[in-house]
Amino acid sequence: MTVPEAQVEGGLYAARQKIYPREIGGRFQRLRTIAAWALLGIFYLIPWIAWGGRQAVLFDLPARKFHIFGLTLWPQDFYFLTWLLVIAALSLFFFTALAGRLFCGYACPQTVWTETFLWMERFVEGSRSQQMKLAKAPWNAQKILRKGAKQFLWIAFSLWTGFTFVGYFTPIRELAHLIATFSTGPWETFWVLFYGGATYVNAGFMREQVCKYMCPYARFQSAMFDKDTLIITYDESRGEPRGARKKGIDPKSKGLGDCVDCTLCVQVCPTGIDIRKGLQYECIACAACIDACDEVMDKVGYPRGLIRYDTQHGIEGRPKHVVRPRTIVYAVLLGGLLAGLAWTVTHRNVVGVDVLRDRNALFRERADGRIENVYNVKILNKDGEAHEFTIGASGVPGLEVDYAGPKVWVGAGSVQGVPVRMRVPREALAGGADIEVAIQVVDRPELTARGKARFIAPSD
Amino acid sequence: MFGPRSDEYTGRLRWPRLGQDVAIVAWPSFLVASVATMVTFAFLDPLLVGNDDYPPPAFSTRMTGYAVGFFFYWLVAALSSLLTLYLVRTAHPEPSETEQNAEDGDRSRA
Repeated sequence: MTVPEAQVEGGLYAARQKIYPREIGGRFQRLRTIAAWALLGIFYLIPWIAWGGRQAVLFDLPARKFHIFGLTLWPQDFYFLTWLLVIAALSLFFFTALAGRLFCGYACPQTVWTETFLWMERFVEGSRSQQMKLAKAPWNAQKILRKGAKQFLWIAFSLWTGFTFVGYFTPIRELAHLIATFSTGPWETFWVLFYGGATYVNAGFMREQVCKYMCPYARFQSAMFDKDTLIITYDESRGEPRGARKKGIDPKSKGLGDCVDCTLCVQVCPTGIDIRKGLQYECIACAACIDACDEVMDKVGYPRGLIRYDTQHGIEGRPKHVVRPRTIVYAVLLGGLLAGLAWTVTHRNVVGVDVLRDRNALFRERADGRIENVYNVKILNKDGEAHEFTIGASGVPGLEVDYAGPKVWVGAGSVQGVPVRMRVPREALAGGADIEVAIQVVDRPELTARGKARFIAPSD
Repeated sequence: MFGPRSDEYTGRLRWPRLGQDVAIVAWPSFLVASVATMVTFAFLDPLLVGNDDYPPPAFSTRMTGYAVGFFFYWLVAALSSLLTLYLVRTAHPEPSETEQNAEDGDRSRA
């Protein structure tokens, strides 16, 4: 049976044939499995870790506070997040220059979740050829049962994923309780379904198409590649001309290269490409073809590495350079940013102050002849423990500060607003002046913060 | 030859054009909307959005504010992606270098 050309190519709107990657063992696939377990383990377990009476990692959006173990980040600390994103991007550049698309093959959520969905698919539907046969089979009880079981696993896993994701923003133990009693809020329900649905569609159906059409990194990674970047490559000079041969025959006598044209490298490929056609942007560097080919080479008694991790220079038989200007620049930048981040996180000021003028009155003239302004002083304690603060002010001679003190208690990770009256003698000031309000922790005087405010007095 | 083996791919392995278009519009705008939402609400408390003089504020809870903000950004970014895609898809193909040179040559001679 031959397939007509039109059917192969299809129209612009022809449905796509599903890719059934063949299962393969081997050293790189073991590494990928370990990476997937580690990353998924981290993702699914972290929300359950407790730390000092609360969830260790909690992005508390309703309260506008991010807890990451002992660290509490406030909206003012947003630049840490920006900084982290820059570091993440630079790490991607660095590892891409060094080892190509390591991220795609081992750590990208799209790959990791797709791999997990493939495991479930294989568990229910069996091997690649069994899956393909099942897809072609008519809808009978057997098929309905198998497809139904797969969908059940996929949907349950997706919902658990959505639940875990929301568990980073709503305390996960409370969320579990809410779900068990069907009393989640509208947004929690929505985001569980949204993230769960995205997981289901991305990992169950879109799979490699996400890498092919949607991923910007797949397109611009070539800009970070050079001839010393590790890529997955087929050794054409050794493999060609390819062809089937009888066992024990010397390929050279038949004019053949080492490639036995078993097409296993194509069958195991999750993006359905043929690595023997050269480096393609569809290749996510999962190394499945390396493992498949090594296994075949072992079987036919040829040396491994017909398909291997190598560099352009390596394939051409030229010296390789791991240390080169590009990697040095990336490494230095990355090291500098990481050190800077570590320093700022450990040295950031954990107290802050915000001074707001009372809106109701500009000033008040007191019976004793002094001018009074009223402020709301907001003391911010980002520290992990409660502190007692004193409030002082300067900027006008004879400035008196009056509040319900002398010590103000502010809980760990809290803001406390304190009404403060400030008074100056009538003759000290005409019009207005800038004053500075300072707060200080009583038992740790090095923890201070200053805020500016305007003191208003009659202009005559 | 014997035609494809039962376990070989016979159909196209690419998405249909419409699927690609939806993905190209929806995904980049999703990424941009996520970043825009983070930056916006790092500086802006949704509970403070609205008219100072006539409470209540625009959003009843912060979560509503975040969600409305996110979907608003997604919509706006998707519209922009859609227009870009339309322009790219409907443009004449870029002339090759030789054609371009020939055209320039004609103009300089004229």
